[in-house]
Amino acid sequence: MIKAFKAVRASRAFAFLAALFVAAFGAAVVLLALDQQRVIEATSRLQEQTVPEIIRFQRLARNLEQLRQEGERIFAVSTHASRQQSVFVVTLIASHPSILEHPPAAHLARETEHFLGEVVRQASTDARRPAASYDEWQRIAARLGMLVDDVSVQGVNLANNDLNVVTSAMKLARYKLMTALLLVGVFLLVFMILVRRHLIYPLQQINLALSTLSAERPAPEFKPSTMLEIQVVEDSLREHHALLIQNDEARLGLEKLANKDGLTGLMNRRHFMQSAEVELQRAQRYRRPVTMAMADLDLFKRLNDTYGHAAGDAVLRAFAELVQDTLRQSDLVCRYGGEEFAFLFPEIGPAETEKLAERLRERCAAMQVPLPDGRSIMATVSIGLADASECPIEIALKHADEALYEAKRLGRNRVVQSDPHVPVIESEPDTHTGSLF
Amino acid sequence: MSRAALAFLLCCVLPAGTGSGALAADKPSLRVLVVENAPPMSFRDELGHLTGFSVEIARAICSEMRVNCVFDAVKQGELLPLMSQGKADIAAAGLLETPERRSRILFAGPYYRSISLWVARAGVSPGQAGVRVAVVGGSAQEAYGQKQGWPTVAVATHGELAAPLISGEAQAVLVPMITAINLQKNRAFRQLDLVTTVFQAPELSGDASFGISPYRPELQKEINAALVRIKRNGTYDRINSRFLPFRVS
Repeated sequence: MIKAFKAVRASRAFAFLAALFVAAFGAAVVLLALDQQRVIEATSRLQEQTVPEIIRFQRLARNLEQLRQEGERIFAVSTHASRQQSVFVVTLIASHPSILEHPPAAHLARETEHFLGEVVRQASTDARRPAASYDEWQRIAARLGMLVDDVSVQGVNLANNDLNVVTSAMKLARYKLMTALLLVGVFLLVFMILVRRHLIYPLQQINLALSTLSAERPAPEFKPSTMLEIQVVEDSLREHHALLIQNDEARLGLEKLANKDGLTGLMNRRHFMQSAEVELQRAQRYRRPVTMAMADLDLFKRLNDTYGHAAGDAVLRAFAELVQDTLRQSDLVCRYGGEEFAFLFPEIGPAETEKLAERLRERCAAMQVPLPDGRSIMATVSIGLADASECPIEIALKHADEALYEAKRLGRNRVVQSDPHVPVIESEPDTHTGSLF
Repeated sequence: MSRAALAFLLCCVLPAGTGSGALAADKPSLRVLVVENAPPMSFRDELGHLTGFSVEIARAICSEMRVNCVFDAVKQGELLPLMSQGKADIAAAGLLETPERRSRILFAGPYYRSISLWVARAGVSPGQAGVRVAVVGGSAQEAYGQKQGWPTVAVATHGELAAPLISGEAQAVLVPMITAINLQKNRAFRQLDLVTTVFQAPELSGDASFGISPYRPELQKEINAALVRIKRNGTYDRINSRFLPFRVS
């Protein structure tokens, strides 16, 4: 329940992250846009207001310079008319609004006008006077020159303010841009880490689990995932594993059913032949002793006829139990057909097998099979043995069958060893026992 | 071969030439009025071409606006009636903005700043009894003198202003500063040994602007933009240096 509460949909989680990023990046962009706006305002102010102001200062400087030139002309020329002309221009400049609106310039221009006016007035009466006033004029001219410089610099400095605003805005914008880029970088990193941790790694684990998924292995284990989609896949995988086990069990069940004899629960002939072949090959490869045997319940047809088929079946079941009880775990046994049984005894030769077979025969002879009506019946078994360590399974079976035939012939209820020196009659069918009844 | 090439070139060039001509003809010309005989603002040079500070500024503005301008020189007194009747589009003269003018025509942004001067013998002051003041007919100075009730002697053009003083018909002259610059060049006038004083009247100093026809209000914005451009690109200052001894903006 807690796990379910904690789990989130990957799509929602990543959509939330993306929204967070868009909000943060959007805020950075807005801040950048504000700086850009400041730059635009400063540059348009520079264009609309400052540049005309700079031009105005340049024109003022030009007029001040003109004042100085007119003054020089007054001292340079000798005619009164020229001097008057210059003084007239000086008067106009000194009275012009462009000069008047700048107090230091207006003050100096007025002073220049008075001085030059006086010089010209005196010159009209005494031609030598201008030369006497020239030193003083030099001082005024120097002041005019400096004012020209000041005004020029003042004009240019007007641009500096706007440029400083632009520069600081651009610097700020650069920091913001770097922050925004850093933000993008960090986000991408976090995004990649989260994708790696919550999507890629779980998917890799799922892939690994899928590639090794089998009924033999335990169910895949996953660390609890926070992503619902991953959880769903992991759960499906676990379900799939459970299904695999179920299928395997079903398969095994079916296999058992297919390999067993329905009445006795022993192996059926087909399965015996497969298993015995494998075992025989193994023994022959390692040169281990191995013995085949054929057994047949004596006079079984008569038993069936006397007591009925149900009694016959009961005897067969009882004999099968006895066999399983008497033989070793490693011995293979099957119901070969009817009341006939085949055996394979690994790791023991005919001599030891004979003891084992003898014990089986004895216990069979001592066995009492109870019938539903309260009576009980007895049965004996004849067993033929053959060494299988050096011949194919068919031959070994044939030898064992021949030995069984011999046992029957010698009076039943006995164990007979196949004589290895008697050649096998290839043409004879292996169902001799059937002809006994 | 070369003849064929020439024919081909002609075929290519001729339609283009006539096309551009048609385009120029399609673009309506502006009729610009300038004041006759008002050096250095507007006058005819030795070849008879109209020139001067106002004329060249007007030409530069027309060029900036990419329009053809046709110039006509008229007397100062004819400017306002012609403009208010819509017979011209632009009055390229330094007009001070007075309420009377404002009611009849539109004004562009200022293209220079002017002052008015009182030029008279020493001791002759404005409004003094028996002093006749020479003015240009139709000028703001004439309107001012009449408003003050001064006896005035009106002349038709700025170039004729010296005459009434030289003849003794007038004892003083009230003129815009640029006209006074020209007066100073008149030797006979200079010999009168007159004193120049800046006339302190708010309505006779300040911004001087081109007049715009009241029927062409759309021109105002274009002319102002062109004026700003020529003040920035140096055209204005070059014209200023060409005609006037100092910066008048």
